[in-house]
Amino acid sequence: MKVSFPYMDNPVLYYKLLDLLGHDIIIPPRPTQHTINLGVKYAPEFACFPLKVLMGTYLEVEKMGADTIVTSGGHGPCRAGYYGKLHQKILDNAGLDVDIIVFDAPKDWRPFLQNLKKIKLDNSWFRVMSVIRTAYTLAHSMDRIEKLIHKNRAHTLEPREVSDAWEEIQQKYMGIENRQDIAAVEKWARERLAGLEYNFPTPDQRIKIGIIGEIYVVMEGSTNNDIEEMLNELGCEVERSHYISEYIDSHLVPWKWKEYQHILDKADNYLEIMIGGHAKRSIGHIVDYKERGFDGVIHLKPFGCLPELVSQSLLDRVSEDLDIPILSLSIDEQMAKANMLTRVEAFLDLIKQKKEEEIA
Amino acid sequence: MNDLYIGVDIGSVSINIVGLDDSKDMQFKLYKRNPGSPVEVVKEGLASLNKKLKDRFKIAGVGVTGSGRQLIGYILGADIVKNEITAHATATIEQVPDVRTIFEIGGQDSKLIVINNEIVTDFAMNTVCAAGTGSFLDHQAERLGVEIEEFGDLALQATKDVRIAGRCTVFAESDMISKQQYGFTKPEIINGLCEALVRNYFNNLVRGKELHPRFVFQGGVAANAGIKAAIEKEINDEVIIPDNHDVMGAIGIALLAQEEMREKDEPSSFKGFSITHDNFETSSFICEDCANECEVIRIQANGKTIAMTGDRCGKWASDPRDIDVKDETSA
Repeated sequence: MKVSFPYMDNPVLYYKLLDLLGHDIIIPPRPTQHTINLGVKYAPEFACFPLKVLMGTYLEVEKMGADTIVTSGGHGPCRAGYYGKLHQKILDNAGLDVDIIVFDAPKDWRPFLQNLKKIKLDNSWFRVMSVIRTAYTLAHSMDRIEKLIHKNRAHTLEPREVSDAWEEIQQKYMGIENRQDIAAVEKWARERLAGLEYNFPTPDQRIKIGIIGEIYVVMEGSTNNDIEEMLNELGCEVERSHYISEYIDSHLVPWKWKEYQHILDKADNYLEIMIGGHAKRSIGHIVDYKERGFDGVIHLKPFGCLPELVSQSLLDRVSEDLDIPILSLSIDEQMAKANMLTRVEAFLDLIKQKKEEEIA
Repeated sequence: MNDLYIGVDIGSVSINIVGLDDSKDMQFKLYKRNPGSPVEVVKEGLASLNKKLKDRFKIAGVGVTGSGRQLIGYILGADIVKNEITAHATATIEQVPDVRTIFEIGGQDSKLIVINNEIVTDFAMNTVCAAGTGSFLDHQAERLGVEIEEFGDLALQATKDVRIAGRCTVFAESDMISKQQYGFTKPEIINGLCEALVRNYFNNLVRGKELHPRFVFQGGVAANAGIKAAIEKEINDEVIIPDNHDVMGAIGIALLAQEEMREKDEPSSFKGFSITHDNFETSSFICEDCANECEVIRIQANGKTIAMTGDRCGKWASDPRDIDVKDETSA
């Protein structure tokens, strides 16, 4: 069995989870234009953009020799819940022999355990639990570092050095065996980042931007023209509404759900019910960002995403009520960097002027 | 010698160049259709600017805006390269200080800019579709055999309303043909098209936003009286068409260049008019040094690489150099 998985933000977490169980792994390449072209060719035209990119990745790893793909499922009544099935069908139709194993939110433990059995190999259940705990710790540790990067990269003279350091840090994380290793890498990573040169402005001079929207286009830089990096290079601190550790806590760990409930509650004024995807969470995060003193919000909506279309239609009202600028961008395979930069640049001009006005 | 600030707006349909003097008066204006070779048009434009003004002015600052701003920015050695939304707003606020709403309809872009107290507070720009932009009209004018310049005035001659489905340029055409077959006159059809464009613009960009006067309408399409009338009908208010409505982006970036130079207190980085004699060539290659596979754009002047862009890591952009790359495609 040669196992692969979706690429989102970085491959470390999935890789470690499967590696520690002793799997033979095909690491998926970061999506490129080639990946997207492949996906667009095979996926239905009206499917949302993330489905197409993932489709491209699956076709690429199949070519590299993968016969099994492990992925996580959707949550709530969004089409992402059917991704696994649809991808499987497209691969079957193309005559490719690949098995997709979908881990869904464990509302019902039985399919979850059955899936676990498929990938547990001859590890003891005790070992499996220990690996899961390690992966869980890894997700949180990496996200602490990534959040630090999203802040600090805005204030360095050489943003590229921070990005390079982040690559290096990820490589170190690829080598961990247990939770002690993770702690050691995290400590090393903090020192590595602290060793770079920064020029921190006073807190009231900092521009903070929140990025909200559908999880895949928010997290996967290759689909959004590396918007975090772009904003950091333009001098803005960035925080995303999605980090993988928070996704795990809020979707897969029932006793952690309530820690994230307050974000959803904050959206109640605008969206009473869960309509699927991340729509309600997106709106809740805008309210949360405003309360935490952010200067603006960028909303990323994959073309064809219904839940985010709903949240997009609420943005004007939210923006006006809360007095926070919001820029909504639709992401698809046509999104050229120049187009995006034009809008982001103008948006930052607007924010800077607003800020100057408020200080004066 | 007086100072001159050059503003260049590289749009998808037109290329505009203006020269403003110290007191922001326009000394030079060029509006030219972009035939797809912006570098040539800019070279010619600057040559004629130089010819006209070289005895009286020296170049104190250069700004470039528009969708092609990066490339031309490199070639000219621009002091400021900025997005067209900010540029447009800057020019309008200068001319109409109490403006609250700007409708800008250009060749392939349309924008809505909302302003309060001379500050941009919101903007929207068309994304996936060119419906609601000038190219929609261009296309239909061609089909009807009417010069685009006469289009607007013809629309005003319409005596009856006819509704044309304008969501998509292709469907608009089929709808237009069937309306022609019903026997509606050319002015009526044209008026219907103008209204369809404005309806699209409002559906895509305004999307129910509350708009306040004063309203300004600019961009290449503002020359079209039929569109102006259709907008006024839609908002039930008067719209102002500023002087030089067709080159507002260029004026704005020239003003921003002036501001930039005052703050910077350094000489302009403009490469001089000698560039009008240089030969520029653009090519691109896929860098295969890592998994990102960036498409690196390379600009050469007289066979020598002067700029590279498009790489994520910056190793080409920071050190543009002549290289032999296989698999090269000329652009």
